Amino acid sequence: MNDQVRGGGKRARFQALCQSLRPDLLRFALWLSRDRALAEDVVQETLLRAWRAQDSLREEASAKPWLLTILRREYARCFERKRFATVDIDELIGAEAPSLGADEDAAEIGELRLALCKLPQEYREPLLLQVLMGCSTAEIAAQMRLSKAAVLTRLYRARRQLRALCREDTSMDPAE
Amino acid sequence: MIDCAHYRRSLLADPGDPRPELRAHRAICPECAGYAARLLQFETRLGRALNLMVEAPPQLRRPDGQRRVFARRNWLTIAASLLLGAGVAAALWLAVPRPTLADDVVSHMAAEPQAWRRTDVPVPAPELRAVLRDAQLRLSPRAGLVTYANSCLFRGHRVPHFVVQGARGPVTVMILVHESVRAAMPFAEQGYRGVILPVPGHGALAVLTRGAHDDPAVVETAAKRLLAAIIWTG
Repeated sequence: MNDQVRGGGKRARFQALCQSLRPDLLRFALWLSRDRALAEDVVQETLLRAWRAQDSLREEASAKPWLLTILRREYARCFERKRFATVDIDELIGAEAPSLGADEDAAEIGELRLALCKLPQEYREPLLLQVLMGCSTAEIAAQMRLSKAAVLTRLYRARRQLRALCREDTSMDPAE
Repeated sequence: MIDCAHYRRSLLADPGDPRPELRAHRAICPECAGYAARLLQFETRLGRALNLMVEAPPQLRRPDGQRRVFARRNWLTIAASLLLGAGVAAALWLAVPRPTLADDVVSHMAAEPQAWRRTDVPVPAPELRAVLRDAQLRLSPRAGLVTYANSCLFRGHRVPHFVVQGARGPVTVMILVHESVRAAMPFAEQGYRGVILPVPGHGALAVLTRGAHDDPAVVETAAKRLLAAIIWTG
């Protein structure tokens, strides 16, 4: 009986944990794929796989990197199965227009989103992991199987390119 | 001692890099200090740009017939939906916060990136007292080192927003005297992890960390410690 109660409590905590991380996972998948339908599919599949494998999660503190690993693997799997010919950039950006309408810097945010879509995947992904998911350099390196130095170089190049695309003043940026 | 190129390169790779040598360079180089301030403004916009709505407006959803469906996915999707439904119920049971309140707190954090600096410079006591006075409270010394304090406009009210340097990095606190919650509300969004605690008679307390602090227990312990350090004066 006690084991059942403990098991139920653990499952409930796991569900709550997944639910609390789901919005950021979906945002991450959206920016990764730039396709809302694909992102929703990938996140659903990720959570289902996580649910099945929840016993392999040793501690809650590891949940985010663990879910990110599953999500990235699932995205790669989807991408291998089918190369997507279209990118719904307009839908992705357009969906945000109503929420940005009242902001005085809505145009700048829209421009930044378009620039993010143009950023090569190898630079966009570490930037998403750092800014959106709050990962440290070491965590990004572990996710992407890169050295920390390589991650920092990609992040540096990502911001440089992004700032240039947004016509920020880059005159004081250091040279490559 | 690092030079300007090294400093700016480090900042472009990681604007939150807490290394003391970077801080030392910024303190003696006004050009790099200005560069850092502009980059932080850019980071704030970047954070907002990445914060997409995760629920698409209905008119932008694909009709069912056009939605991509992978082979063998149908039953998985149904099962996942059921699990997620159960998840929502469990999350409510565990009192996960109203999205709007947690969202608003997180959005406010993203708009004040300067608050997250790792520093050992305390806020001058009179400044801190002035920020806390409006909410009719003061802090006991056991709250720890307060390095940022501001009276912020949040949902139409001025509320105290301060940062305490914890052993595992900065911990941000907002005293939400005009809000009320019934139970502790943990949340994790946009790289922030936090909890909103009820404070009977005084509204609610929001406590957030960001970065590597992924253990909900760490945030909740910090929140309870800070709550215990608050002395209500009204």
